[in-house]
Parts: sequence; structure tokens; C-alpha cells
Amino acid sequence: MADFNLFDAEEKTLEQAEELRHGMADAPAAIRDGLATLIDSYGRSVREQRRLVRVSDRLQAQLATVNHELGKRKAEAEQALDDLKSAQESLVQAEKLASLGALVGGVAHEINTPVGIALSCASHLADATQDIKKLFEADDIGVDDFKRYMATAMDTTSLILSNCERAAQLIRSFKQVAVDRTSSERRDFDLCAYIRETLASLGPHLRQAGHTVSIDCPGGITMTSYPGALSQVLSNFVMNSLVHGFEPGQIGEIRIEVDQVEPDQVRLTYADTGRGIPDQNRGRIFDPFFTTRRGIGGSGLGLHIVYNLVTGPLGGNVSVESPAKGGTAFVVTVPQVTASPTV
Amino acid sequence: MENLKIAATERSPEVDFDFEHGALSLRGESYPEDASTVFGPIFSALESFLATVGDREIRIDFDLTYFNSSSAKALMNMFQRLDHAAAAGARIKITWFFAPDDDTMKEFGEDFSEDLEHVAFNLIAIETAA
Repeated sequence: MADFNLFDAEEKTLEQAEELRHGMADAPAAIRDGLATLIDSYGRSVREQRRLVRVSDRLQAQLATVNHELGKRKAEAEQALDDLKSAQESLVQAEKLASLGALVGGVAHEINTPVGIALSCASHLADATQDIKKLFEADDIGVDDFKRYMATAMDTTSLILSNCERAAQLIRSFKQVAVDRTSSERRDFDLCAYIRETLASLGPHLRQAGHTVSIDCPGGITMTSYPGALSQVLSNFVMNSLVHGFEPGQIGEIRIEVDQVEPDQVRLTYADTGRGIPDQNRGRIFDPFFTTRRGIGGSGLGLHIVYNLVTGPLGGNVSVESPAKGGTAFVVTVPQVTASPTV
Repeated sequence: MENLKIAATERSPEVDFDFEHGALSLRGESYPEDASTVFGPIFSALESFLATVGDREIRIDFDLTYFNSSSAKALMNMFQRLDHAAAAGARIKITWFFAPDDDTMKEFGEDFSEDLEHVAFNLIAIETAA
């Protein structure tokens, strides 16, 4: 379109003005000079307009290029952010898998001992039974042989039983760690009444050693949450105090305090007067299989279960403190109404 | 006469001139490297069309989100040409669309309308799909 001209109208006006000037050749010099000046400045103005349009076009094109580049960079940055987020998610997932792996490894390790003992006892019993059978068939069995066999049978069966019991207990703990959050029941319950019920059910453990329990809980707090999980958390705290906190023979105190820092949040503080947790262990007590009593009854799962239940189904957080006056305090903060399970 | 339909490019607007129904529209952005390649065909088609319109009713929609200076000059020329046709009897209605938050486009519309005496000019704010 070679004939397209943005300043077509202006050029035509200039041509007409030029014709007008020719037509006015006889006019007085002042008018001719004036007209010539007007035409000249109009022409200059049109040329200036062309230049401005050209410069402005160029600037706008640059702006568009820059904007385009900016949009591209923004998209790239957003893509990078998305990638980063999904990488982060995979890392979290990997971390979970790794912790599950550690858990399974730990469970295998823990279960291996009682199962190994039970197995060797069973094998020893089988050998002894084979021997006594031979003597019996040869009609060569004496009272001493039989007494010895009876003693072996008593010892081995007792060991088999206790070790199988231990293995079963470990498997139960493991099932709690891997608690199925969707199947546990979520319902309304009175917090204080529920805490008292839970502590009452732990009564035998506590009374035996003469420990005292005080509960300071303002009435009328209705929770919509998982009572089973809360009860498990409290039980594990109590067992922790009994097994780790109190020295043998010590008559300990347990205090449970409930308050509401925020209207919809409940803070439960569990404190005992036991020996406390050494500084170097405080960061690890919620880790799975961290125990100071390996081989003498500690599985290292109790507080890990607490951590999983509080941060999982109960939707809150748990921390440990070492009060100045000694002992250990666990602070659990949970919402009064937990989120509905997302299935 | 034949309708003029040109798809939008990254730097030029979509042209949809339905001469048969007297409905013309320009939509999109306009900052071409060379204004004549974009506006040349538009002007020659418009010239031929306006020569035939008499007192017909013609609707022209402008829905532009961005244009450069030569496009602005071309638009000004276009409005001038339309105003002449309206002065000669054509019933021309121009609608200038702008996004509610785009004051620049609204002001351009107001500026352009100032020089128009014979066409009906409407300014309408619309939410764009994008």
C-alpha cells in the first residue's frame, strides 16, 4: 500500500496553501509574506508531527518488547516457583517415606530380639522334647530326666510367652504410630470430663507407686475432636513420667492444666516432678525410636506417637519445656474444633 | 462489496468489516512496525465502502487495548473520514469500548470524540474476557 500516507490530509492542505499563494501573487507584500510564513510554519509543524510519531512509535515498540520480555521472565519465574514447590513436596514426601522406612527398620530391629529369643527357646524346647521322647520310647526314662525336662519346659515356655507378648506389644505400638487418621472417631466431648476419665483409667499404674495427680481444668470446654487421640497422648505422657521421669521409690506429682489462650484454641500443660529431660536430648524426644532405655523396656515410640497424634488428627502442636523448679512439662496446643477429615 | 476480515497478530488488531450488514469492528492491540501495512488495506476498503453508503446505517466498534502513535494518527484520520461521511448523510454510530480500569483508553475515546460533529459516539466500559 504505497499510497497510504498518515499525513495525507496535511499534505493536501499544504498543496492547497501553495496554490493559494500562487493565486495571491498580486496581493500586497505584507499579506504574501504573512501567508508564506504561515505555510512555512505549518509545513514545519507537520514535519515535526511526523518526527514525533516516528520517535514515539519506536519508543512504544521498545516498550512492547520490554513488556513482552518481562511477561516471559515472569512466566519463567512462576514456572521455576512451581517446580520448586513440587520439588519441595517430593522432598517432604521422601522425608515421610524415609521416616516410615526408619520406623519399619526400627520395628524390625525391636521385634527381632524377642522373636529371636522366642525362636531359640522353642528350638531348645523341641530338642529337649526329642531327647525325652527317645528315653521314653527306649523305656529308659528316669525321674531326674523328667524333672530336668519339666524345668526346661517351664523356663522356655515362660520365655517364649513373655517374648511373644513383647513382640505383640511392639506391633501394637507400631500400629498406633501408623494410626489411621480417618478411621478414628471425631465427635463432641467435654474436655475436662474426658481428661478425668483417661487419668482414672491409668489409676492403677499411678496408685501403685503413690503418685498424685491434680487436674486444673475450667469446666464447660466442649471439644469437637478425636478423643481417642487425646487419650492416647495423655496416656503416653503418664507412661513417660512413670517409666522415665520418676526415680524408683520417688513419690511424684503430675499436674494437668488446661486454659484457653485464644477463644478457639485449647492449651493443655502436662507437668511432672520427675528428673527432667537433659538438654542434649530435648531436641530428639519426639523422634521415632529415640529412647534412653533401649533394652530395658523403652521402645522410643511413646512421644513420637504423641507428636504424630497432636500434629496429625488433633491439628495442633506440642513442645517440651524444662521448668526451673525441675521436672518436665509438655505443652499441647490444639484447636477446640479440629478440621473435618479430608478424604 | 467484499467484506474485509483480517486476523489479529501480536502487533495488529483484528479487522472485521462486514460491509453487507454495515457492521465494522477493530479489536485488539495496534503497534505495527509499519502503519501502512496495517492501515493501508483498512483505509482503501473503507474509502470504497463509504463512497457507496449514502444514508445507510453503519455501526463501527473500536475495542482496542493498546495502540502506538501512528495508529492513533491513523485512527484520527479514520474518524475524520467517518465524520465526513456522516456529514454527507450516512447514519454512523461509533462505539468505543474500554476496560473499566483503563483510564488511558477512556481518555483517548473522549479525545477522539471531541473532533466529531456528525457521528454518534458512545463510550462503553466493558470487562474483557482476558
